[in-house]
Amino acid sequence: MTISEPQKRISERALTVWKISACIHTLVVWLLAGGLTTITVFFDWPYWIIGAALGFAAVYSYLFIILLPTLRWKRWRYEVREQEIELQYGVFIIKKTLIPMIRVQHVDTQQGPLLRKYKLSTVTISTAATVHEIPALDMEEAESLRTSISRLARVADEDV
Amino acid sequence: MSEPKRLHPIAAVVNALRQLKELIIPFLVFVVFGSRGTNWDLFYFYGSIGAVVLIFVYGVLTWYRFTYRIEQGELRIEYGLIIRKKRYIPFDRIQSLDLSEGILQRLFGLVKVKVETAGSGGMGLQDGEAVLTAITKQEAKEIHDYLISIKKRAVPEDENQEQETRDDILYKMSATELLMLATTSGGVGVVISAVLAFVFQFEEFIPYEQIFDGVEHFVQSGVVFVSVVVFAGFLLAWVIALFGTMLKYANFTVRKVDNDLVITRGLLEKRQFTIPLNRIQAIRISENLIRQPLGYASAYVESAGGSALDQESSRVIILPIVKKKKIPGLLEPHLTDYHFRVDLIPAPSRAYVRYLFKGWLFVLPIIIAAIWFLRPWGYGTLVLLAVSALWSFLNYKDTGWSLDHGMLTFRYRSIVKNTVYMRKNKVQSFSVKESFFQRNKKLATVEAIVKSGHGGAGGKVIDVEKKDAESIYHWYSHETAE
Repeated sequence: MTISEPQKRISERALTVWKISACIHTLVVWLLAGGLTTITVFFDWPYWIIGAALGFAAVYSYLFIILLPTLRWKRWRYEVREQEIELQYGVFIIKKTLIPMIRVQHVDTQQGPLLRKYKLSTVTISTAATVHEIPALDMEEAESLRTSISRLARVADEDV
Repeated sequence: MSEPKRLHPIAAVVNALRQLKELIIPFLVFVVFGSRGTNWDLFYFYGSIGAVVLIFVYGVLTWYRFTYRIEQGELRIEYGLIIRKKRYIPFDRIQSLDLSEGILQRLFGLVKVKVETAGSGGMGLQDGEAVLTAITKQEAKEIHDYLISIKKRAVPEDENQEQETRDDILYKMSATELLMLATTSGGVGVVISAVLAFVFQFEEFIPYEQIFDGVEHFVQSGVVFVSVVVFAGFLLAWVIALFGTMLKYANFTVRKVDNDLVITRGLLEKRQFTIPLNRIQAIRISENLIRQPLGYASAYVESAGGSALDQESSRVIILPIVKKKKIPGLLEPHLTDYHFRVDLIPAPSRAYVRYLFKGWLFVLPIIIAAIWFLRPWGYGTLVLLAVSALWSFLNYKDTGWSLDHGMLTFRYRSIVKNTVYMRKNKVQSFSVKESFFQRNKKLATVEAIVKSGHGGAGGKVIDVEKKDAESIYHWYSHETAE
């Protein structure tokens, strides 16, 4: 008896968005590395510092712009069924979560400027005790997901 | 009972005193720094008196503005000195009334009533609840009776003339148990730290000896003196904690009244909690390090009620200390949804290696640092490896899970050993986690979350058999279950 993988993937544009936002914060690392290089040249410090700084920035960029988003995207699966929502995500630790429909209290969608540009949005599913997030879904899909979850979810009063 | 009523005037005093208590630290700072400049003394003196008077005036005015009434099936409270606020709480939304009597209230035969609702979550800290600081017992009873009458009306099909309220005593704490509780709780930490402090003091003078050869004797006696004082201080703190616990838990009684658990406790300040049975989300049995070898444990109820501020009302202790063997006998007849005699399936033996390494990973940096910096003595920290291995073994041995009677049971150790009993329909979400290393060994971590107060609580069991994790997953799933 094995757990079948959830079927749906999140939008491919999510990968682009993740890469762009990773680029933005990688820029800070490059700026720091650049600063360090300048100082090293200025004060005549040993040159290996420049190599180390640039090397670090390069590895950092590769990790955060290419490797991690790709792995993350590959792993992200979800499925919304009649009775339950199933999520699967994680890069090194794979987490698989099951949320019964009757436990869902409300569903939110939200999007920042970057997500909006790519017509994506994030869906947040809240139960009485936990909050779960599906990042970067196609906007229409997110919308239909939200309506279908709120249609399916009914609060069973006696259980909460 | 529809005309607006004020609280008993003693409420003004209680509120003022609470305000004072909150202000005590700024107040002390004020006074301490104030007394430096001599000619300012009088100013600070009158300033302090003025502040106290202001607080009392504020307390009285707040009391004057606070009214409550029962109208159209709602408890209507109006309050607020500058901004008038109204809070209307429908009675059928009220989950429970918690009564408590502080010393001031007891002097005048009054009670403090806390009205608990399910809370709408997230919005403000005290959302959906109300506190009547001091009303007469008669008034409290009227509110209670009114609440009961509303609740009865809400379920008409349960033939109304049914059994008159059933009132069973579920558990009453004995004097020995109270003593047991006081000596093995909270204070334990203090004692351990006292012992540590003691030991540390002696370790400390080893380098002293080498450096100040001449003053050795003096330093040594000084250190001994300091350690004795520190130890005495800790002992005193422990005794105070002991009495505190005893006062708090004296007369601890759990009763089952209809479909509620009613808990009363306290000697000076009496408190009463009511937990409707259907609000119980999970039951947790905890054994701390001292109680476990003695065979004692405590039982808690995770309840959905309570406010975010008040952790006490979401995780309520129902058996403060009792022989672990007795727990099933005490609880099973009353909490019929739960079964406490379940066979737990332990983690597979190959998981121990992972527990061991995880423990070592944690202590290794400490050992390396100690050996590096404190050359001769640092090697002593190698003992930590053995301690950590033992601790990991305990952790590993306490891991377990079971699926039985529609109930999921997790047992794990954080620092105390916990056993959490959860019903399927109370579990809010369930996760299976698998790291790269676990995947190689076909192990997985399972985590179930129940509602507790405004947040979540629950349990996590690390390194169960992958196929077991999967079978729990299927059990929890509403669709794949065969």
